[in-house]
Amino acid sequence: MAHVVQPLDQPSNYKDSQSRVERAKQNDLLSKSTTLYIGNLSFYTTEEQIYELFTKCASPEDGGGIKRIIMGLDRNTRTPCGFCFVEYYTHAEALASMKYVSGTKLDERIIRCDLDLGYKEGRQFGRGKSGGQVRDEHRQDYDPGRGGWGAQAQRLEAERRREVEERYADAQEGPGAVAGGGGDWKESETVVPSRKRGRSPDDEGDNVRMGHHRSRDDMEVERM
Amino acid sequence: MSYDRSHYDRPHRGGGNRRRYKDDYDAHDRRTRDSFESPEQILKNTIIKLGEVDPIQELPRLAKQIREQVPLSVPVISEGIRIAVTEQPYKIPYYAALLRLLHDPTEGENAESSTSSSLGKQVLEDFWKGFQGYLDKLAWRDVRLCIHFFAHLTVAQVISIESMSALLQSFAAVLDEFGVSYGRGRNAALCAIEGLIISGAVMAKSSSSNTTEIIKTVQNYNDSIYAPKLLVQPAMSLFTESRSLENADEVIDTGLFVLKALDSFEFVEASESFPQPYLDFPDLDPTVSAPFELPAILVPPEVIELDGLATDAGEDAQVKKEDWPQYFFHLFDNETTPDSATPAGFLVRSQILDTIDIFEINRKECARLLLEYPKWCVPGTFKPKPGAPEPEFESGKNWQLESTVIEAILGSLYLLPESTHKTVYHIALITELCKLSPSTVGPAVGKSIRRLYTALGDGFDVENARRFAEWFAVHMSNFGFQWVWKEWLPDLELSEQHPKRTFIRRALEFEIRLSYHDRVLKTLPEPMQNDTTVISDQTPGPAFEYEDPTHPHYDTAQSILSLLRGRSKANEVLSHIESLKTTLESSGTHLHVDNTIRSISIHCLLSIGSRSFSHLLNAIERYLPLLRGLAGTDAESKQDILSAVASFWHLNRQMVNIVFDKLMQYQIVDPTDVVGWTFENVGGDAHSGMRPMSLSAFEWDLLKGALDKANGRVMVARRKVAALRKEHDDSVARVKASVGADVGSIEMDADVKPFKQDDSASENPQLTVALKAFASLTREQKGALARTIEGFVSCLAPCPSAGRQNPYAETVITEQAWEVRATWGADEWNTWETWGWYRHFCRTYSPYLRNYQETLGTVGFAKIEGSTSPAAKLMKKTWGMATGQES
Repeated sequence: MAHVVQPLDQPSNYKDSQSRVERAKQNDLLSKSTTLYIGNLSFYTTEEQIYELFTKCASPEDGGGIKRIIMGLDRNTRTPCGFCFVEYYTHAEALASMKYVSGTKLDERIIRCDLDLGYKEGRQFGRGKSGGQVRDEHRQDYDPGRGGWGAQAQRLEAERRREVEERYADAQEGPGAVAGGGGDWKESETVVPSRKRGRSPDDEGDNVRMGHHRSRDDMEVERM
Repeated sequence: MSYDRSHYDRPHRGGGNRRRYKDDYDAHDRRTRDSFESPEQILKNTIIKLGEVDPIQELPRLAKQIREQVPLSVPVISEGIRIAVTEQPYKIPYYAALLRLLHDPTEGENAESSTSSSLGKQVLEDFWKGFQGYLDKLAWRDVRLCIHFFAHLTVAQVISIESMSALLQSFAAVLDEFGVSYGRGRNAALCAIEGLIISGAVMAKSSSSNTTEIIKTVQNYNDSIYAPKLLVQPAMSLFTESRSLENADEVIDTGLFVLKALDSFEFVEASESFPQPYLDFPDLDPTVSAPFELPAILVPPEVIELDGLATDAGEDAQVKKEDWPQYFFHLFDNETTPDSATPAGFLVRSQILDTIDIFEINRKECARLLLEYPKWCVPGTFKPKPGAPEPEFESGKNWQLESTVIEAILGSLYLLPESTHKTVYHIALITELCKLSPSTVGPAVGKSIRRLYTALGDGFDVENARRFAEWFAVHMSNFGFQWVWKEWLPDLELSEQHPKRTFIRRALEFEIRLSYHDRVLKTLPEPMQNDTTVISDQTPGPAFEYEDPTHPHYDTAQSILSLLRGRSKANEVLSHIESLKTTLESSGTHLHVDNTIRSISIHCLLSIGSRSFSHLLNAIERYLPLLRGLAGTDAESKQDILSAVASFWHLNRQMVNIVFDKLMQYQIVDPTDVVGWTFENVGGDAHSGMRPMSLSAFEWDLLKGALDKANGRVMVARRKVAALRKEHDDSVARVKASVGADVGSIEMDADVKPFKQDDSASENPQLTVALKAFASLTREQKGALARTIEGFVSCLAPCPSAGRQNPYAETVITEQAWEVRATWGADEWNTWETWGWYRHFCRTYSPYLRNYQETLGTVGFAKIEGSTSPAAKLMKKTWGMATGQES
């Protein structure tokens, strides 16, 4: 397919400049990626707004959905600095966002989506000198949605700013700071803590095995 | 820009290690690769790009270029044409003309032509292989577009009339197959219909014409499709089975209508309905250039890959999505946009729909191509662009391009039970069209919105009303939320639950989700701003019930909250909660201590997670053991948890959806719990108290969230089992291969078979776990579906002893009641909407319902078994239509 036009769901020249993964491996990861980098967000845009738009590309009937959203924060001020990661459960959903959402408006700004290698610890923070995104260091224009506002600030924007400044004041760093979003379904009798339940002899085997699984999953959450 | 990706693949083929660096280098700079196109590639691209300026002018030049290419490669030419035909349907007549030029004997070639076949025939022969490929894959759109091409070529005298009728006959034959699926039937019928519309004029003149027979076959088939049509009409009618609709048409119905009309006048109208550039060429002498004979075909049967996974009750758990009849909604009159019941109108819509489908991969290009579409039509089909020179042809149809395109996009958005692509694709495509040509597309969009809004009061399907609100909100969010709300001010007089009022409320709610309350509020005229039945007067924030220091449980809540804020361990919080419970119990003044404690705890947990979606996830993950402890194992505590969530977020229904979803994700509650809760607590803002139980779009979203979760999990579990089995089979095969030659193969087979079937599970613990999970999940899936049916029964046909009765369930389904709907109050409209969601449930989940129809039917309808009340009868009838028991 696609001999006449270029599909929109192809990886662009966007990349994580700090990724140490070799190119072939990167391409492989991108071809399965469930994560999107979302750029050109307003600093005021909330995760719920993002959720509302991106959930339109979700396919829950196929085991999909929005797994988590990781808001990009200014390293120093812990306030949103105009980007985020949206992670789905399936690759197809990420591709759908590339096709249908990238280049449309959210909160009255045209946002861009790019397939991402996957969230890694620390990537939620801006990499610019000032703590925000690098692009905002060099930006010449006046951009009210991205901190470029002053005396002319609108009343509404000021109110939103107050909320936004407080929202992530508690943001943490390090392992476990970012939630996983919930993994695959697991047989539940082994997940429920058997606090009060009497143990039956055949419980043993299951619990041992599941315990093992769980610790592995927990590690995975931490690694991410 | 690339026109063919396969060319990128070439350097990768057959490369050893040596290649590695080069590949890497190539990836750095795509442009280098583009500029080294081979002559074949260049020719192929030239073919694909035919008509960028003027196809008629370019045709002889292109034919010449093709003939002069050295070396002449037939596969390259045929591939170019094949790509062009299947990806640019609007250009097909011109490719037929090109092929005709390649078929024409050239000067000096005459002597040879009787012995060797023309270049055109050679290309067709190779093209046929591609067609056969599409047919083998049952790639219906590609097959159908190739048939367009063949049909034009028949008129162009390149393909023999007899072989073309035989081809179309083969597709009609599909309709006589025993048990043909609707999707297969519809696709085959469309192939025959469209092929006949294009080639009928020459077929009619042939002595061996089978046109009438084909029409009859399609007609018989179409007559046999009755029940499914009633379920997917865009306007919902509960009282009548009449199939004639004012504002919509079903594609096969219409195709037949067009064909029959053409047939009765020997297809004379066809020739002016679509371009036939090849008719300008002189007639061919069949004795000199014999036409190409299409080989005979047999449409291959559908292959269903059975994975043999059954539920523990032995039902086949595999879901096969069924196609439904396609009703297209009309927004404009036949002067403004094509009348689909005319040959030109039918084909224009078909081509626009194909374009929308093909270019789904790039909505921006799709929008551009749609606006360029008139170029490929008979002159005068569409009104000239403003400022363009006066048309030469006075007698044109003069349709409006933008309205036509928007009508087709919305038509495919409003297909039921679901649109061909995700809703958001249609929305994004319309956005692109508006960006490309705001002054012409904008008004068409505005008019469409007004027409749809009007349709809301006349039975527009509830699911489509929801999609309409979704489109409206997303569209407005891309264009500054500018809508002339004041023109709908008079409708504030209507009942609060009138579909127009529900639409306004819902559209504004969706707008707020994408933006924020104050922003949306200020786009409204004052009377709407101050009306809480239009828009809430509060920002959709959390509602922490125990925040008020005068609340009796204020201190209790604060003590939990401070533990959570201090990030105490989950088990510490749990034991604190236990001690609080004891205190409350011993104080003796409190009833329902458990329920109260659960509510307070959930409110506290949601409160620390209320800042953002991520905060919610963090709170849940940190306190999973707490949540599990609160949820326990009984259904009641889960209902309490869900109720607490709904009350905490009662100002923000998006958050209710999100929290429910994540509680299911983290397995605190099951989909069945959510379904049960939804039916127990139906009653959003507008229907509080003990009014009849009814569902609005919000409750539907909750139900859908739960059912999709249950179905999605089964899907994932199925894939896991399949992957593990494959892995297992592969390893068995490897063992077999390594044992290899020494062991007699017969003996080996005997060893392997029982191993695969019986012992595989015990050999592979992962597979055992996966199969067990699959069994649990299908049970859960069935439970959720059964609970949904029960829930609908309690809304629409509650048994006489039930606490909440709904007298309107029987009255709103009569014609008399519908006629006086202007007098309906909230209860009537709510009930009517509930009927709509029930229908939508049946048709959306029909593949699942069909699989489990015995169990679900028995369990779900137990309470109304044998009931002859009109409501109970309609419920069972709808169920029967969706599960295929009623035809």
